[in-house]
Amino acid sequence: MASVAQQPASPGPGGPGGSAQARRALPGWRAIGARVITLREGSIIVIALVTAIYFSANTSTFLTGENFETLLPYFAPFAILAAGEVFVMILGEIDLSIAGMYLFAPIIFYKLNTSVGLPLVPSVIVALIVCMAVGAINGIFVAVLGLSSFVVTLGMLFAFEGLSLIISKGTPVATPGGQPPLGTFGKVFGGGTYSELIWAVAIVVILQVALTFTRWGLYTVAIGSNKLGAAEAGVRVNLVMIRNFMLCALTAGLVGIFEAVRSATVQPNPAGPNEILLLAIAAAVVGGTLLTGGSGTVVGALIGALFLGILKDGLILQGVQATYLLFYTGLAVIVAMTANVFVGRVRRGQTGGG
Amino acid sequence: MSDTDKAHEAVEVLDYLDRPETGRPGFDRRAFLRRTALTGAAAGSVSTLLAACGSSASSGGNSSSVFGSHPNYKFVFVNHVTTNPFFTPTQYGIADACALLGCSYQWTGSENSDVNQMVNALSTAITAKADGIGVSLIDLHAFNAPVEKALAGGIPVVAYNADAAGNKRLSYSGQDLKLAGEKMGERIVAAVGSGEVGLFIATPGSANLQPRIEGAERAIKNSGKAITIHTVATGAAVPGEESAIEAFYKSHTGAKGLYAVDGGSTESLAKVMQKLGLLAKGVHAGGFDLTEQTQKLLKEGFIEFTIDQQPYLQGFLPTLQLFFYKVSNTQAGLFEANTGLKFVTKETVEPYLTKSRYEGTTTTAAVVK
Repeated sequence: MASVAQQPASPGPGGPGGSAQARRALPGWRAIGARVITLREGSIIVIALVTAIYFSANTSTFLTGENFETLLPYFAPFAILAAGEVFVMILGEIDLSIAGMYLFAPIIFYKLNTSVGLPLVPSVIVALIVCMAVGAINGIFVAVLGLSSFVVTLGMLFAFEGLSLIISKGTPVATPGGQPPLGTFGKVFGGGTYSELIWAVAIVVILQVALTFTRWGLYTVAIGSNKLGAAEAGVRVNLVMIRNFMLCALTAGLVGIFEAVRSATVQPNPAGPNEILLLAIAAAVVGGTLLTGGSGTVVGALIGALFLGILKDGLILQGVQATYLLFYTGLAVIVAMTANVFVGRVRRGQTGGG
Repeated sequence: MSDTDKAHEAVEVLDYLDRPETGRPGFDRRAFLRRTALTGAAAGSVSTLLAACGSSASSGGNSSSVFGSHPNYKFVFVNHVTTNPFFTPTQYGIADACALLGCSYQWTGSENSDVNQMVNALSTAITAKADGIGVSLIDLHAFNAPVEKALAGGIPVVAYNADAAGNKRLSYSGQDLKLAGEKMGERIVAAVGSGEVGLFIATPGSANLQPRIEGAERAIKNSGKAITIHTVATGAAVPGEESAIEAFYKSHTGAKGLYAVDGGSTESLAKVMQKLGLLAKGVHAGGFDLTEQTQKLLKEGFIEFTIDQQPYLQGFLPTLQLFFYKVSNTQAGLFEANTGLKFVTKETVEPYLTKSRYEGTTTTAAVVK
């Protein structure tokens, strides 16, 4: 984890020189400090740490093994959702339909398993393929037909939330493979204590490596920075965009199934996923991914999700009432974003000076 | 409760912390922001913000009362729609019981029936070593494991407002939902006799509503009358509910009765009855709960009845139970409390129209006249 966080963020055309000065400086605490703070993820790492230290000092229960387990579902699902969303946001697009996939995937999974009689794992695979197909349609609308991703995915969000209600007849059902005592399937797919954490870390590492070191990742950043230029340089823009929308839908569907297994119930209520959608986007943005595209980090999204999770868990541990929770969360997002912008200015300032 | 002033408190604390830094009231906010953000990457403002958040339960200490000297028990109430006005009187009930007994409480959960968020909040309450937990069991499966975990850890858990068969909770305080549905079904049979009837439900399958509709269906079937039931899901948002109900009536103009099983749908039903003038056309109508709109429209005679479930007691009674359970070391406290099967009609709605803490229409505690 830490080693990945130390990786310089993807060398997008926007600011490749960010670490040049840090590299030139002699290795020392100050240099390391400067390096961390000027990482794209730097400010959110500091804010998450400060938040964790605050709650450790102010509650007797935050810094316990028990709370570590409690904390996991507060951020792991959001980290996976945000990781997929980052790939779309770097393109300068947005995918709102992830809430639809989150809701739809477990319902398809349930139907395949109970009505069609498919075994558990194949049911998951088919449900995820359906999600990816929806992602592909999103991508085609945006890349090929040139529609606004906000509008296309908003339409898809409503359509698939509606379809979820129609297929489920609006009735919650018991998740197959999610009932106690959990079998291997349930423990692997979200029900085990560390299941979602392990998935989140694995997915974040794989996607960060893909973003930083593969041609796909470079093309993604290139398209987000300058779509026309990328196309003229020979990047197959449409293909990359469609692929990224498919990835985003896939991660959303996967999280939907994990959460259905974890709570042992497949819920058709769209209100919850709509809130989760906004938190996932908040995690990505707070983590250092630009809404305008051209720059982003998957590790940052993980830490952004961790920050929001620590905040919520910590505030509930402290005894904050529900009516105030949203208010504090809103303030925290603004504070984190403000810090991001200021630290970003420092980073750009160094680039100009060096 | 002092909690009501949290927002003011937060703003005040922020102001107080700012002042000494500058030594004068005309304090340069921009400089302050820039400095904190650049030097400590906003570390300062994060902890200031968090300090402002404060805590309603950190004050420990003992409370002495007629029951002897006991710790300031802290009870956590996990709810499915924490900011829904239906539960405002429930929170007053909890607050009043806590004030009476020398306890404190926390109201948390999900804002929109998100079961995963409720499970998270329940886990946090267990981690925080709450002295007792109240939870609205709106799902038949999701809460079984966490409730058992809490009980295994020595934390008593009681259900309120919604109950789930098979859950290990120690008691339930709320409406007997199935019985309430059956009684409504009997009313429907008596009023309609035969013909088509529309039954409206916001979210089918949720454990706080579904038993009502099943109870009504059963009572109608058992009556042996030739009544055709159409169940319509209206959704959770009021504007959508209204159009769903209107659309149903327009496609079933022969319907002789329209009934709703949740507060939102009841309010919407009353509005549709008023808009289309359906009572004059001989359409019967009724529902559940008493939102201000429902009270008003019931008083004006657009629906025939609504069933009260006393949300205030759904907070007061579980708090009482948890307190006695703790203070008597499990000897006393638990009981099943059916808080509601009270048919309110045009004739009996009068007292509800006065603003009262028991209906959540005012924060002031006073004898209702």
